[in-house]
Amino acid sequence: MPLDAIPIVVINAAAKQSGDEAGLSGNAPVLLREIAELARRLLASGESSAIDLRALPLTPADLDWLRETLGQGQVAATLEAEGESTLSETVCPGVWWVTHRNETGAVVSEFIEVTYFPELLKAHPDDVQTGLEHLDLLISDLS
Amino acid sequence: MQGSLIDTLARQGITRRAFMKYCATLASMMALPPAAGRAMAEAMAAAPAATRRPSVIWLPFQECTGCTESITRSHSPTLEGLIFDAISLDYQETLMAAAGHQAEEALHAAMKANEGKYLLIVDGSIPLGLDGAYSCIAGKSNLETLKEVAKGAAAIVAMGSCAAYGGIPKANPNPTGAVSVSDIIKDKPIINIPGCPPIPVVMTGVLAHFLTFGSLPEMDAKGRPKAFYGETIHDRCYRRPFYDQGKFAKTFDDEGARNGWCLFELGCKGPVTYNACATVKWNGGTSWPVESGHGCLGCSEPDFWDAGGFYKALSMPADPLKIASAAAVAGAAAGVAISFANRGKKSAAKSAHETTTLADLEK
Ligand code: SF4
Ligand code: SF4
Repeated sequence: MPLDAIPIVVINAAAKQSGDEAGLSGNAPVLLREIAELARRLLASGESSAIDLRALPLTPADLDWLRETLGQGQVAATLEAEGESTLSETVCPGVWWVTHRNETGAVVSEFIEVTYFPELLKAHPDDVQTGLEHLDLLISDLS
Repeated sequence: MQGSLIDTLARQGITRRAFMKYCATLASMMALPPAAGRAMAEAMAAAPAATRRPSVIWLPFQECTGCTESITRSHSPTLEGLIFDAISLDYQETLMAAAGHQAEEALHAAMKANEGKYLLIVDGSIPLGLDGAYSCIAGKSNLETLKEVAKGAAAIVAMGSCAAYGGIPKANPNPTGAVSVSDIIKDKPIINIPGCPPIPVVMTGVLAHFLTFGSLPEMDAKGRPKAFYGETIHDRCYRRPFYDQGKFAKTFDDEGARNGWCLFELGCKGPVTYNACATVKWNGGTSWPVESGHGCLGCSEPDFWDAGGFYKALSMPADPLKIASAAAVAGAAAGVAISFANRGKKSAAKSAHETTTLADLEK
């Protein structure tokens, strides 16, 4: 049977004890402070940083809350590389929500990146060089 | 990120961004900080000409080659295999083109050239019976070869349950006197990657860590990388809510089995087995044993073969894993759902109720 046919949702133990039906563990709001700290660091020193969302004790509900709270900004990019990755800026410029998926569409890792522009989206000089060679080829085909 | 690895990958149709994404995910799986993903990508891609890549010597002893199959024939061979492009695999009988004296020469040349620096991977157990005569390569017993090659190694990876714990060759009555690598070598850092076979990404993760930081990742008490063996199958099993509700399949074709209920009573060893199957899964993330309807055999634990029968429930008597299982069952009885931080509670539950039985659970 397919997994989602099982009518049961896992609720985090901590959330259960605090009687929170929505499955919120209380760990997500704290993250906002950390993100703010990282944004301050970015402004002060230009240093980019990232938070690995998989490494934190967050329930699916926590993640939803965080995603919703941070909101959707103006920029969203999709990367097709062994599965789809999405990099979208939140309503706080410089704070990016990054989701990597594999070929079957399952999320394999998820990060919040605090950076002016995600490294992954930049073109590498070597790749630009390769592209240039391709362009030259296209141009030579014209004549 | 420059160098030949990235070019090799490009020829295989893997872009720089795909590689960076892979490294980011690998770092995340290994519980390393996000910056480590970039460090890994840079360290691995920077591997220049073949001669300067870290040397790896891979010795197969008393084994079935299942571990090699697992690592080299994974779902997306190019991505898992890319780590092997970053190293110089100087000796691996199954994969190398050379044979006989040539192969032995390659082994000794690599040992000499990289003395004190090479990484030694071992799969298979080492038989001590009849002076090691049960398994010999090039006229030498596995014991002799291991001691000789381990001497100059920077670190040793014991890959698979046989190398890590003795595995199936060591199963009762252990006719060949099989032992693990750590039973013999005491003066080198050894990391165990148990599993019968181990999950490919665990192997690549450990290799990537060694290539990037020149050291082995953090290990648990049984010498396993904590990042992958930090939680039990049961802690991360998607059937866990059924276990917590006392809904168990009683046979492989009853209503419970069809509804995907917990396989505990059908002998699932998930509660006492530390491995990453429930999260990483198998065959490129397609599925894993419990998802396919069969209980966990406990293949990444020492002596899993003799743990009292694959289809015998853990709570049944005459079970070497019993003590550990009582702890896990007690944890569930105390109402601990899947959570990231329940280990403290579990040990509290363990001391509070030592003898919870299945009957208690079903109430
Ligand atoms: S006993 Fe096995 S099937 Fe049941 S929840 Fe635990 S790991 Fe999953
Ligand atoms: S589910 Fe259990 S027996 Fe199966 S591969 Fe994973 S650890 Fe081994």
